[in-house]
Amino acid sequence: MQFSAVVIKFISVVFQYGLLFLLLLFIYRTLKYMRQDSRPILDDIYAKTEIVNEQARLTVLESADEELTGRQFVFSHELSIGRGAGNDVVVNDAFASHQHARIVMLNNLYVIEDLGSANHTFVNDKMIEGRQYLQSGDIISIGTAAMEFVR
Amino acid sequence: MNSRMQSAALLLIDIGIMFIGLGILALKTYPEVLLEPFAWAAGASAMAILVHSYILKKGLAADKWIFPIVMFFSSLGIIMLARLKPVLCVPQLRWLMIGMAVMLVTIHLARKFSDIFQYQYILGLVTIAVLCLSLVFGTEIGGSKNWLVLGPFQVQPSEFGKILLVLFLSAYLADHKDMMMSATKKIGILEVPPLRFIAPLLCIWGIAILMFVVQRDLGSALLFFCMAVSMTYMATGNKSYVLIAVGFFSIGALISYALFSHVQVRFNIWLDPWVDPSGQAYQLVQSLFALGSGGVWGAGFGNGHPGLIPEVHTDFIFSAIGEELGLLGCFAVMLAYVLFFYRGMKIAFSCQRDLDILTAAGLSLAFLLQAFIIIAGVTRFLPLTGITLPFVSYGGSSMVSGFIMLGMLLAISAKEKYNGKGKY
Repeated sequence: MQFSAVVIKFISVVFQYGLLFLLLLFIYRTLKYMRQDSRPILDDIYAKTEIVNEQARLTVLESADEELTGRQFVFSHELSIGRGAGNDVVVNDAFASHQHARIVMLNNLYVIEDLGSANHTFVNDKMIEGRQYLQSGDIISIGTAAMEFVR
Repeated sequence: MNSRMQSAALLLIDIGIMFIGLGILALKTYPEVLLEPFAWAAGASAMAILVHSYILKKGLAADKWIFPIVMFFSSLGIIMLARLKPVLCVPQLRWLMIGMAVMLVTIHLARKFSDIFQYQYILGLVTIAVLCLSLVFGTEIGGSKNWLVLGPFQVQPSEFGKILLVLFLSAYLADHKDMMMSATKKIGILEVPPLRFIAPLLCIWGIAILMFVVQRDLGSALLFFCMAVSMTYMATGNKSYVLIAVGFFSIGALISYALFSHVQVRFNIWLDPWVDPSGQAYQLVQSLFALGSGGVWGAGFGNGHPGLIPEVHTDFIFSAIGEELGLLGCFAVMLAYVLFFYRGMKIAFSCQRDLDILTAAGLSLAFLLQAFIIIAGVTRFLPLTGITLPFVSYGGSSMVSGFIMLGMLLAISAKEKYNGKGKY
């Protein structure tokens, strides 16, 4: 009898903390899921962009590095940009990070993703947060370099 | 995990809250355990899961998060009632199930009856008629004369008047907003449109003050007034309306303070409840004690003494949450209302017609305002005005009208997905 009373007491204390935990868990989860949900919506960009081909071109319009200026990069699936030598586009610029950003194809659209660079990535002079869809004609700025994205 | 599974996970947390709460109470009375609430709770949970997956699968609602948030309030309400008034737990579960059924009906009907917005003046008249019903035929229950007795049922018309008010205001404002914005005259710092455009609004404000005075239903009056003002502001973006309304409100408040003793009592106990802590301010003082003794972590569910507060199962349920689940529980509830409002506004912003924007924004604002008014009342932030905490407090009228409003909000979200930008 004594033992079962202790067990019941124990379970009910666990439940009481569990209840409080569940209340807070619900709020935490809701916040987390809703945040994912409020990312850019796919259908808007589909309405605006005509999908022409599965190839894109990045043209360097200006850069402190004269060798880079004017070069064109044609790619279809992925393009990495940064100061590191392993990147597809090597930006020799003190303001660029080693692995600065990358452009990947997602659902037949190109997405630019900042890889946590120190000086950020700008699309049409707006700083991007995380990932963003690219449209033909967008100007990407990394450090002193400005590049035009065309597809 | 896709977002549909995520919202199902949230729904499971709600159900977990309900069963853990009932479990704690069952352990308290062990070995005699009432199985009836468990059976009803299982039924309600199953129904919630079915309803949720049905509306998402059929595309009847595009918003996945609002329903789990509402179930969060309902689960919390049910376990608080099982704790405070065990007799009312099963009726509340029954009301919850009726509410979900009514929500489904509303979602279906909302598509067919979108024409009612064209009959805005009829809507306005019906709103006034419903509000006046209780002025004329009202019965006094628990201090305010806002109940209607229909055979075995007691209905609170003001709960349903709230819905009609949102519909009327959004129909009227969507239609007249251009005129109200352009044809204005400058009087001092105020920009005022011709009287005939704002006459319906003045009428609603007048009715609110009448309710305040005759029915002693201070909570609903404040809610109606605030909704009329904020929806007008949302539609026109003209701050003059807010200023005029604040002026009106102050004059009305001063006059009723001078003339009516019940208004004086409410105000005085708010200003200083310690003058008469065991008399007129008893309820408020007990509520403050409850919140204070709860502290940050609460006394633990089932371990407090919320029974000392009169009417704890309706208006004062938030104090009971504060005592037993502490500041953390209160924080969770308040944040959940804000999240609900956020989702509602997100639906509103995704709409393309002014009418839908105003309806969605008005509906979500109604919930937030109602929660704010009563939470502010029981915590002595504002003078106490009795009103239910949406989806949490006990009450059939409040539950059913809440689910009707939820159904309308979900129907608007679905309509946007199909008629609007949605192509996927």
